[in-house]
Amino acid sequence: MLDGLKDIIRKSSIHVCLVNTGGCNGCDIEIVALLSPRYDLEQYGIYVHNNPREADVIIVTGAMAEQWVDKLQRVYAKTPEPKIVVAVGNCPLTGDVFNQEGGNVHAPVSDFIPVDAEVSGCPPRPSEILEALLTVAPGAIAARGRQKL
Amino acid sequence: MILPIGPVHPGLKEPLRLKLKTRGEKVLSAEIDYGYIHRGIERVMEGKTWQKGIFLAERVCGICSYIHTQTFAEVFEKIAGETVTLRAQYLRVLTNELDRIQSHLLANSTYFKAMEHETLFMYMLGLREPIMDAIELLTGNRVNMGWNVVGGVKMDIKQAHMDSILEIMDKFESEYGRYVEMFESGPLVGLRSHDVGKMTRDEALMARAVGPIGRASGLKHDVREQHHTYRDHMDWKVVWRKEGDNFARTMNRFDEIWESISLIRQVINNLPPGEVRKKIEIPAGDAEYRNEAPRGEVTYSVETNGNLIKNISIRTPSIMNIDACAKYMLKDVATVSDAVATYATSDPCIACTERVIILDESGRHLDFHGVHNINSKLKG
Repeated sequence: MLDGLKDIIRKSSIHVCLVNTGGCNGCDIEIVALLSPRYDLEQYGIYVHNNPREADVIIVTGAMAEQWVDKLQRVYAKTPEPKIVVAVGNCPLTGDVFNQEGGNVHAPVSDFIPVDAEVSGCPPRPSEILEALLTVAPGAIAARGRQKL
Repeated sequence: MILPIGPVHPGLKEPLRLKLKTRGEKVLSAEIDYGYIHRGIERVMEGKTWQKGIFLAERVCGICSYIHTQTFAEVFEKIAGETVTLRAQYLRVLTNELDRIQSHLLANSTYFKAMEHETLFMYMLGLREPIMDAIELLTGNRVNMGWNVVGGVKMDIKQAHMDSILEIMDKFESEYGRYVEMFESGPLVGLRSHDVGKMTRDEALMARAVGPIGRASGLKHDVREQHHTYRDHMDWKVVWRKEGDNFARTMNRFDEIWESISLIRQVINNLPPGEVRKKIEIPAGDAEYRNEAPRGEVTYSVETNGNLIKNISIRTPSIMNIDACAKYMLKDVATVSDAVATYATSDPCIACTERVIILDESGRHLDFHGVHNINSKLKG
């Protein structure tokens, strides 16, 4: 019963931390566009506040610049359980255009932290990001919460 | 006491470390650490053809992605000594001004969010969406448009699209004035904005501030004045102010949006007929070209052997503006929350700034504290 109650609460209030690990900013502003009245992320109980210490979902954008190699794991460790990671954009999946000779990136992000959901696109449309968040986040957070208990 | 903010912090959307030297609540000075999203984009571009380079140029910055491709294309056109057809030039102006409107709205919305005025933040983002629709109608994409090529633009515009864009502009203009007035004459937002983060004209000159940040401090400098399309065919004026505080910077962006709307109308009403793209043979050579991005002056200097890019150097406005913010605006700010709002009003775009990494002889990375702060004594 306690698990069921916790599931309901976890599903209805999802806090998001946005970490840009070295992208072009395009995905970040599409996530900011999600806050706009047209998409209105908060009607689904999702709050973007960029604080890893109280986040349930870490959204990773960007192609893992040199500085983030050790720092991303620290951000991940600071986030309390249950937590999931959503990689948004092509950069965290493959490194996109930066992952060529001369580029100073260490993509993919899944080499460093476990990634639960991936949204491709350069950048993906806000509706796609929203769809991915809504399909994956509530179920995955609840499942992960049960796992730990 | 030194108060670190970032790189992952509720107040910031992009990774950057802001070190505020405070006494009590008062902020005495500030220092900035860069280097969190350095990707080596200039190095990747070397040895590639322009067809590949233009995609990389687009991804220097996601918010002002359009102007980077335009400047990249125009620097190659300058090397070839040709100009594109008038219709293509007009279409470039149209996309540039749409991009400027959405960027300014986003910048102002970030400022309202930083000063905790959620209502205006939502209004600004709500206004921005129709503009993104107009960009999507015109180019097919919201952010990275892939619209410019060396020699013109990729697609022609249809009459139906022009009508839709004009319709969007009419609707936008009818709503927009109300929100500007809300900010301009609102007593609370005014109190939080007037005389906060003040930068005088001399300081702006010393910090080489550009764009709306420089213009709000009395530097009447807009590179669009020197651009051939704007100079010869468009009727517009440079918007500038004298106060140099947060209020002036925000109002400067608001006023520029009126100019952009007028420019969009001029383009659509006087669009000349003709081709939108022509073939340009690129000889070996080098050139430099500058354009006005939403944040200020962006410069591309390219050396090519006719086929491949031999050397490229990009100078974006944000690096000067963020340094100006750290050195002059965040000096003697009354509270820490005002300091964060002042930082937001300098319209920081970190993705733009980071194309340099500093190594010592053994290849170890050194911390980069900005152009002004390399020899700083302040340690965090």
